[in-house]
Amino acid sequence: MRAPRPVLAVAAIAIAYVALPVLGLLQRMPWSSMGDLLARESITRPLLLSLLVSGIAALVVVILGTPLAWTLARVEIPGRRIIRALVLLPMVLPPVVGGTALLFALGRRGLVGQWLDRWFGLTLPFTTAGAVVAAVFVALPFYVIAVEGALESGSDELEQMAGTLGAEPMRVLRRITLPRLLPAMGAGMALAWARALGEFGATITFAGNLPGRTQTLPLATFLALESDTEEALALSLVMLIVSLAVLIPMRDRWLPGRRPER
Amino acid sequence: MSAIHLAGTARAGDLELDVELSVATGETVALLGPNGAGKTSLLRVLTGLLPLTGGHLDLSGRATDAPGQGVFVESHRRSIGWVPQDRLLFPHLTVRQNVGFSPHSTPELVEHLIGSLDLTSLADKLPTACSGGQAQRVAVARALAAEPQVLLLDEPSTALDIDSQHLIADLLRGGDERATLLVTHDPVEAATTADRIVILENGHVTHSGSPVEVRTRPRTRYAASLAGLNTIAAVATGRTATTADGTIVVLGEPATGPVHLVVPPVAVALHHSVPDGSPRNVWEATVTELQPAFDRVRVVLDGPLPIVAEVTPAAVDVLGLVPGAGIWAAVKATEITVHPA
Repeated sequence: MRAPRPVLAVAAIAIAYVALPVLGLLQRMPWSSMGDLLARESITRPLLLSLLVSGIAALVVVILGTPLAWTLARVEIPGRRIIRALVLLPMVLPPVVGGTALLFALGRRGLVGQWLDRWFGLTLPFTTAGAVVAAVFVALPFYVIAVEGALESGSDELEQMAGTLGAEPMRVLRRITLPRLLPAMGAGMALAWARALGEFGATITFAGNLPGRTQTLPLATFLALESDTEEALALSLVMLIVSLAVLIPMRDRWLPGRRPER
Repeated sequence: MSAIHLAGTARAGDLELDVELSVATGETVALLGPNGAGKTSLLRVLTGLLPLTGGHLDLSGRATDAPGQGVFVESHRRSIGWVPQDRLLFPHLTVRQNVGFSPHSTPELVEHLIGSLDLTSLADKLPTACSGGQAQRVAVARALAAEPQVLLLDEPSTALDIDSQHLIADLLRGGDERATLLVTHDPVEAATTADRIVILENGHVTHSGSPVEVRTRPRTRYAASLAGLNTIAAVATGRTATTADGTIVVLGEPATGPVHLVVPPVAVALHHSVPDGSPRNVWEATVTELQPAFDRVRVVLDGPLPIVAEVTPAAVDVLGLVPGAGIWAAVKATEITVHPA
């Protein structure tokens, strides 16, 4: 199909809107000293920490989010609309508010946190685990939305068919539902991972800014911007490369809008 | 023993099903009815996808759905094989994995079914590689691989090529240990494959009987319209076919092997004397019965070919048709359609 010109023109403006900041970043890059910069511990430590935190967060999101999305899509539970709104809340809530809420729930004196501390000696704030908790909190809705949408758009006829063949519900889930859900799960996981990687507000509020423990790439970048611009630029480049390295191969297989043929 | 015994009600959208139906083990019953009569909904009741609102359903002698007693056996605990109209093959599994999906299937049976339904070359391909007829064969094989006691086929021959029809018909014939319920809107398929025909209209069974009985004594307008067809078993050898009584019938198209000859009653012409002209099949018959069939009269004939003719009431007067009267019957070879038996 030939696209109408006004559509192409607006699309071009949108592309420029996304590309210009990237260009702005790239033209200021201290390319000559980049080798030294990237070897600095103040860059490698946040990088490794960010990969660790966002990677674990993405896994936790899949483990928690898949049954949640399935329940929201397929089970008649009372107050489903309210539960759904609650699940999606972190998407809309300013991350700083989310971090504050986490602090009052899971902090040392928080609603649940005080018991975690007393019974298990477990403290989440200012730990890497706390950074993961913050990342999961903000990233979960992105995954749930993707997977729930796929479950609702596909009918459950194939699951019913599998049942008549003698397959127990768990077997139906394992052999029919989950394999067919993989593209949506991949897409949701990519979105959730991206959100976790970029997480700033909830992390700094709930987990603090401790180098090597909770200081992820966005936190390190923000901090470096005040003291060492070159380092901030190098950190930005690292985030840019990591993001593209993960998103580009996923684009074809998993991101929404490219469902494999039925 | 009754493999299916149903006397119950269910609700499907605007339609209220209220059905009594029994199918014995080893029996094949064709469920005929106009669109929207509730045929597919009835199958869904049997599979457990549509629960009864009243009454009871027993499968293989076991109480399976009885809302009054709080009994409901889930789909996966019923021994049923369901071949739905849209087949519902699992798109992410290969043909072999589809056929072997049921936990009750054995690898030997799966391979046997794949072989006998001519699916060997497709076994490792995804269902998207299958034609309509092949997909239907996969769906039938998948249902049979579970070795069900009750087999439910929803419009199995829709859009099927003749080879697939043959293969499936051959396979279904070997079912002495199961009951088969076949939903169809094709009276020929019903008459040629079923021991008994059940007619469902507007959620109710309006007639149940042997194909001959339903054909000769239709109780409703719908039954009369589809009962219209004569089917005669014969063995074809080229341009002719021989019936069990030894009567030779001239065919319009060559065929070989066991066949069902299908003759619409309106194609049976009745004459006072031997007719001239093109009819190739002419014989002398005796009128045994006259049945008013709404605006026409069905004339049941005895003779070398037991057959029903359909004529206008005026023709009955002109020809002097009364039970016991002798008459000449003629059928053009081109009016006979040949179906593989």
